[in-house]
Amino acid sequence: MRAYVLRRLLVALPSLLIASLIVFTLPRLIPGDVVQLMLEEKAYGKDLDDLRAKLGLNRPIHVQYVDWLGSVVRGNLGESLWTRQPVLTELERRLPVTGTLGVMALVVAVLLGIPVGVLAAVRQDGVLDFFVRSAAILGLSIPAFVTAILTILLPAMWWGWAPARFVEFSKDPAGYVLQFILPAVILGIASAAGIMRLTRGMLLEVLRQDYVRTAWAKGLRERVVVLKHSLKNAVIPVVTVLGLQVVSIVGGAVIIEWIFGLPGMGQFLVDAIVQRDYPVIQGINLLIVLIIVLTNLSVDLLYAALDPRIRYQ
Amino acid sequence: MTPSTPFGNSLTRRELLKAGAGGLAGAAVLPYLGSGAAEAQTPKRGGVLRLTFLGDPLHFDPHQTLSFVTMVPLSFVYSRLLKVKAGPSVKPMTYPLEPDLAESWTQPNDTTYIFKLKKGVRWHPKPPVNGRELTADDVKYTYERFLTITGNPNKPVLEYVDKIDAVDKYTVKFTLKEPNAWFLDLLASTSTWIVAKECVEKFGDLKRVESVVGSGPWMLERWEPNVKLVYVRNPDYFVPGLPYADGVDVLIDKDPSSRLATWLGGKTDFGPEYQHAVRWLDAPVAKQRKPGLQTAEYTWFTSGATGFKLANPPFNDVRVRRALSRASNLAELYESLAFSQGHWTPNPAVPAAFADWSIPIDQLGPEGRKLYEFNTAEAKRLLAEAGLPNGFKTTVEAPATVYGPDFADFIQITLKNWKAAGIDAELRLKEYGAFISSTIFGKFDQMFLGLRGAWADPEAYFYRWYMPGQPLNVWGVNDPKLIDMIKLQRRTFDVAKRKQIVFDIQRYLAEQALFGVDGSIRILSAWDAHIKNYMPNNGFDYGGRLMAAWIDK
Repeated sequence: MRAYVLRRLLVALPSLLIASLIVFTLPRLIPGDVVQLMLEEKAYGKDLDDLRAKLGLNRPIHVQYVDWLGSVVRGNLGESLWTRQPVLTELERRLPVTGTLGVMALVVAVLLGIPVGVLAAVRQDGVLDFFVRSAAILGLSIPAFVTAILTILLPAMWWGWAPARFVEFSKDPAGYVLQFILPAVILGIASAAGIMRLTRGMLLEVLRQDYVRTAWAKGLRERVVVLKHSLKNAVIPVVTVLGLQVVSIVGGAVIIEWIFGLPGMGQFLVDAIVQRDYPVIQGINLLIVLIIVLTNLSVDLLYAALDPRIRYQ
Repeated sequence: MTPSTPFGNSLTRRELLKAGAGGLAGAAVLPYLGSGAAEAQTPKRGGVLRLTFLGDPLHFDPHQTLSFVTMVPLSFVYSRLLKVKAGPSVKPMTYPLEPDLAESWTQPNDTTYIFKLKKGVRWHPKPPVNGRELTADDVKYTYERFLTITGNPNKPVLEYVDKIDAVDKYTVKFTLKEPNAWFLDLLASTSTWIVAKECVEKFGDLKRVESVVGSGPWMLERWEPNVKLVYVRNPDYFVPGLPYADGVDVLIDKDPSSRLATWLGGKTDFGPEYQHAVRWLDAPVAKQRKPGLQTAEYTWFTSGATGFKLANPPFNDVRVRRALSRASNLAELYESLAFSQGHWTPNPAVPAAFADWSIPIDQLGPEGRKLYEFNTAEAKRLLAEAGLPNGFKTTVEAPATVYGPDFADFIQITLKNWKAAGIDAELRLKEYGAFISSTIFGKFDQMFLGLRGAWADPEAYFYRWYMPGQPLNVWGVNDPKLIDMIKLQRRTFDVAKRKQIVFDIQRYLAEQALFGVDGSIRILSAWDAHIKNYMPNNGFDYGGRLMAAWIDK
C-alpha cells in the first residue's frame, strides 16, 4: 500500500508540472495586462514600461516561469503584485475558511444524500420516493447562488434578520462554526441531490442481486440487508462521485463565499483574476490542483476500505 | 439645486482667498454644525459608525491608483491642504472648499500659491512616524513623490506644478508652470493626501496596510481582506473635539443582496450602495423597515459613456452623430433600471452632478438641445440626409463584467433604440480588465459603451477627453476652437467668466455632437435615524463627511 501511494505521488508530479505550466500561462493569455490595470485610466507609455520592469514582467515568459517554479519548489509562492503580501500567508489565512465551508458542505451532502437515497430505494415508487426524487431534481436545478440570495434577502426584508458577518475562529469559535451552517447547507444541497440519486440507483441495482436475495431468504432484517450487505457495495460509485463533488464544491464556494462575505480562497481568486494578480492566480490554482490530486488519491485508497477485493499493487 | 460658486454659495474666489489669508482655521469645527435637526442637539461622543463598502482596497498607495476602492478607505486616515466642505449645511452636488491642513493661503500672482500650515498637527502615533509633527517638508515630499513616482494615474491633477518649496517649517510655496484656475479645487482632490516620508522609506512604497499612517480623524487599526477595515479614533486629531465616533467599521461586501440584507438587518447604519445609496427599487422596503430613515436625493457623477472615432466614417459626419443621440431614449432607459426607477438627470459634457458647472440642457444651443429629444423618425431623417437612408452597421464594445446588471440593461435598451433608427450595432463584450486597459484608450474598432464619473473636478470631463495628446481623447478630437476655449478657461480666475467659458465649451461639444447623450441617476442616499449631523455628497471623501457625524443611541 505504501509503495502504491508513493507511486501515485510520483505519477502526480508530472501532472503537477503540467498544471503549473498551465496555471502560469493561462492568466497571461487573458486580454488586459496587470500593468495597464494598475495605471488604469492614465497609461503613460514610459510609465508602462517602467512599471513592467519594476514588477519583473518585462522578462521572457519562460524565464519568469522557471524563476517562479524555482520559488514554488522552495515553498515560496511569491507575493501579490498589488498588495505585496506573500501569497502563502494569504492562502494560510484563507484555506481554513474554504476548507471549513467545503468540509461542512460535503458533510451536509453525505448526511442528506446517502440516507435519503437509501430511503428512496427501499421505498421505491412510493410517495416518499416520489417526493425525494422531485426534491432532488429541484435541488439540482436551482443554482446555489439563487438559493443563497433568497435565503439572505427574504428574511431581511420580512423580519429584519440578516446572517452574522464573518468572525474569526480565535475570537469566537462557536460563532465561527455557526456562520458556516447556512452557506454549507446551500452549497451541500446540490451535491446532496446528486448523491441521493446515485445512491438510490446503485442501491436498487444491488438490492436485485443474488446475494441480497439470499440474505432476505435467510430471514435477515431489512436494516441488516440494506445497511450491512447492500449499502457498502452500492456506495463505491458514490465515493467516486464524492471525489468529483469536492471539485464542484470548490467551484461553488467561489460564489457562496462572495454572497456570504466569507474571506476564503474563492473570493481571493476572483479578485486576483479581475486584477490580473498573476502570482495569486497561480498560487491558488496550484493549490486547487494539489487538493484535487490528493482527493483522487484518497478516493482510490477508500475503495479498498469499502471493498476488500480491491488490492493495490 | 440652487447654483453657487465652486467655493460655496456666497463666497467668490477672491473672497475665499481673502478669508484664507485672514485665517479660517478657527472656524474649523463650525462648518460641520450646520442647519437641520441636528443643530438643536448636543453632539455625543462615542460609538462606532458601521457601513458597507463594495470592495477591498487594491492596495493603500494613493499615488499608484485612482480607484475608489483605495481612496475611500484612505479618506478616514489622511488629510490634505484643502478639502471639500462637509456637513448638513452643504448641499449635495456643490463642492465648496475649506482648509484642512492649511491654515491660510495667498496667491501673489497667477502661478504662485503660498500656504501656511496649521501648527501642532501630528501624525498618527504609529511606527515609523510615531506622532511627530507634520511640517512643510512633508507637503513638499508628498507632492514631489506624487509628480515623480512611476505610474501615478493621478498625475494630471498636478502635472502643471513646476516646483514646491518648503519656505519654512509651516510655509509651502507652489510655483505653477502656467496659470490653472482649478488649482485649489484640484488640491482638494482625494488623490492629494499628505503622506509620511518615513513610511515610504521603511516599506518601499505605501501599498502595505502597515504603511497607512496619516494625520486624519481616524487611524486604520486593521484590514481583514474580504471582511472589513477597522478604524479607531485619532486622539490627537488637529480639529478639537472631532471626530465624534470612536471608530468606524467598514464591512467589505461585494454582493448587493448581502449588503442590502446586512443594512436591513440592522448591522450597518448607512445605505448599502456606493455613497450610501439605496436602489430606488429597494427604497420602499427600506423605509418600511427603518423608521425615521434619513435620505437625500441628488445626482451622482456616474453616467453612461458612448465613444466613437471621428476619423472613421460615418462618425465624421455630424448628422450621423446627432442621429445617434436622437435615437437614444434616455427616459425609457432610466425608467427601467432598478437603481434609478425614473429618477435621473440628463448630462451635458460636464455631468449634471456638478451643479455649478454643468450647463442646463435648456441653455444649450438649438442643435444641442435637440440631442436630448428622443425621436426615431428624426434620427432616420438625419441618417438619410447623411447619405445613409438604410442606416448603417457598426460594432460596439462594452465591458461584460463589474458594472453590474443595470449596465447590462443600459446596453440592451440603447442598442434596441439605435436599431429602431437603423443603427445596427453588433455588441462585442469584453472582459472588464481588457476593456479598461484597451478600449478606453482608443483600442476599439467603431464604438464603445461604458461608464464615466471617476473625476471630481469638472474640467477633467472636457480637458482629458478632448485635448489633443491626452490618452483619453479616444475620439481623436483636435479642434482649434475647442482647444482655445479649454486653454482660456484654465487661465480665467474670475469664476463667473470661467463658468461662461465652460458653458460655451459644453454648448460647442453638444453642437458638434462630440459625445453620445447620457444621464445620471438621481440617487437616494440613506442613513439611519440615530446618525446625526451628516449629509452625503459626491466624491470619495467618506471620512471627511463622517468625521462630524455622531451617533444618537
